[in-house]
Amino acid sequence: MTAERGDSQHAADRIRAFEQASSAEELVVATRRLTACDDPLATVPHLVRVLGFNNPGAAVAAVDGLIALGPAAVGPLLTHLDAHNYGARAWAVRALAGIGDPRGLDVLEEALATDVGPSVRRAAARGLGALRLESLPEDDRQRLRERCLEGLENGRRDGEWVVRYAVAVGFEGLALPLPPAHPHSQRVGTGLRLLLAPEQEEARVVRLRAGVALKRLERR
Amino acid sequence: MAGDGEPISEAEALEQLRQTDDQSRQYYAAWWLGRMRSQHPEAVPLLLTALRQRQPRNPGAGVEHNAVARNAARALGKIADARAVSELLAVLDDADDGLREAAARALGELRAKAAVPPLIRRLASGPDVAGAHRSDSPRLQEPCEAMLEALGAIGVAEAEVLAVIKPFTRHERPLVRSAACRALLQLTGETAWADELLQLLQHPQLQVRRAALMDLGAVGWRPALVPIQRTLAENSLKLIALRGLVENGSGSEADSDDEAVLMAMDALL
Repeated sequence: MTAERGDSQHAADRIRAFEQASSAEELVVATRRLTACDDPLATVPHLVRVLGFNNPGAAVAAVDGLIALGPAAVGPLLTHLDAHNYGARAWAVRALAGIGDPRGLDVLEEALATDVGPSVRRAAARGLGALRLESLPEDDRQRLRERCLEGLENGRRDGEWVVRYAVAVGFEGLALPLPPAHPHSQRVGTGLRLLLAPEQEEARVVRLRAGVALKRLERR
Repeated sequence: MAGDGEPISEAEALEQLRQTDDQSRQYYAAWWLGRMRSQHPEAVPLLLTALRQRQPRNPGAGVEHNAVARNAARALGKIADARAVSELLAVLDDADDGLREAAARALGELRAKAAVPPLIRRLASGPDVAGAHRSDSPRLQEPCEAMLEALGAIGVAEAEVLAVIKPFTRHERPLVRSAACRALLQLTGETAWADELLQLLQHPQLQVRRAALMDLGAVGWRPALVPIQRTLAENSLKLIALRGLVENGSGSEADSDDEAVLMAMDALL
C-alpha cells in the first residue's frame, strides 16, 4: 500500500489528505477519515480546528471523533479552543458534553448559563448530568456535583422547552449513581418535581420526561 | 429605553402596542404579547385594534401597518381567545396575502370551525388557480400551505373539505404537497398520506425534509419514529418533531409507551 493512496491507515497520510481538501464535501470525507486511523491522537488538533471551519457536516464528524477519543481529547480541546469563534465554541461544548470529563465543567457551566443558542445550552445541560466523577476522591466529587446541580437548577428556568427537557435528563444522570438518601438526590428530586408540575412547566413533553426520571430514580 | 429585541415587561409591551407613532415598537410589542401568551385583559382588545390598523397594500408606500397587523394576527392565534375569530375571518379576505396567511394560521390555532367555509372557498379553484404562481413574486395566489394546515388543525373531516384538499397533494411544490398530506392525515388518519410524508423525509432538499418533519410532528404520527431518527436534518428539528409524536400521538402505535420516543429524544440532545 503506498502512502499516497487514499486508503492508507497512516495518520500522517490522512492528515495530509485533510490539509489538501479543497471543497466542503471533501472536507467532510477527510474529517471522517481522520477519526478512524492508526494514530487517532495525532489527529486531535486537526479535529479541533475543524470545529471553527463553519462546515456543519465536518464539525459533526469531528465532534463524533473527539467523543470517541474520550478524555485524551479534552486537553487539546481546551487548549486550542478559539474563544472568539462562536461556532467553534458551540461544537466544543457538544464534544465536551459527550466526553464527560470533569475538566470540561467550566465550559459546560458557562454555556448553559449564558450561551445564546438553545442547541448549545441543551447539550451543556445534558453534559452537566453526565460528568464521569467516579474516579475522583469523595470531596472533589461532592464539590463538582454541587456545581453541576446548581447549573441545572438555574437551567430549569430556561425559556426554551428543549433546554428544560435536557435539564430533566441531566438531573436523572446526576442522581442515578447516588443513594436515594444522599442530599444531592433529594435536591434532584425537588428539581424534577418542579419540572413535573403543570403550573410550573408548560411543555407536556418536559413534564413526561421529568416523570420518567423520577420513576427511574425510585426504582434504582 | 426598550426598543427592538430588548427585553420588556408586559406593561411596557401593552403601552408600546397602544401608542401609534412608532410602528416598529408596535410590531415588536405584538410579537412579544403572542410569544408570552399574555393573559392580560387588555392584550386581546389592543391586538384587535392593531389588526384593524391594516390598510390596502400600496406598493411604494409603507406597509408597516400591515406588518403590525400580521404580528397581531399571529399573537391572537397564540393567545387563542375566541373573541379574535370574527376579525380574523374578515382578514381572510384581505388583499394582502401575507395577512391572509397569518390569519389562516391563527384560525387554525383557534380551531375555529367558522373558518372552514371561507378557507374552502379560497382554495376551491385548486392547484392551477389558487396554487398558481404570482407574476409579481415567488409566492402563490393563495397562501396554500397555511390554509391547508389550518384545515387540518380545525379538524372538520367532511367530504367537501377533503375534496378541496386532495388535489393539492399533487401540487408541483413539495412544501404544498407536504401541507396537504399533513391535513389529510390529521382529518382521515389514512396511512397513505403518512407514506407520502415519509417519502418527503428523503427529499434531496433540506427545506423539504424539514417541512415533512414538522408536519409528521404536528400530526403526531407515531409510526414515523424510526424514519424521523434516520432523516438527514438538524437534531433541533428532529427534537421538535419527536415532541409532536409524544404530545399529539396518533397512528397505529398511538398508545405505545411514550418512553421509546423520549429515549430517542435523549439521544439527540
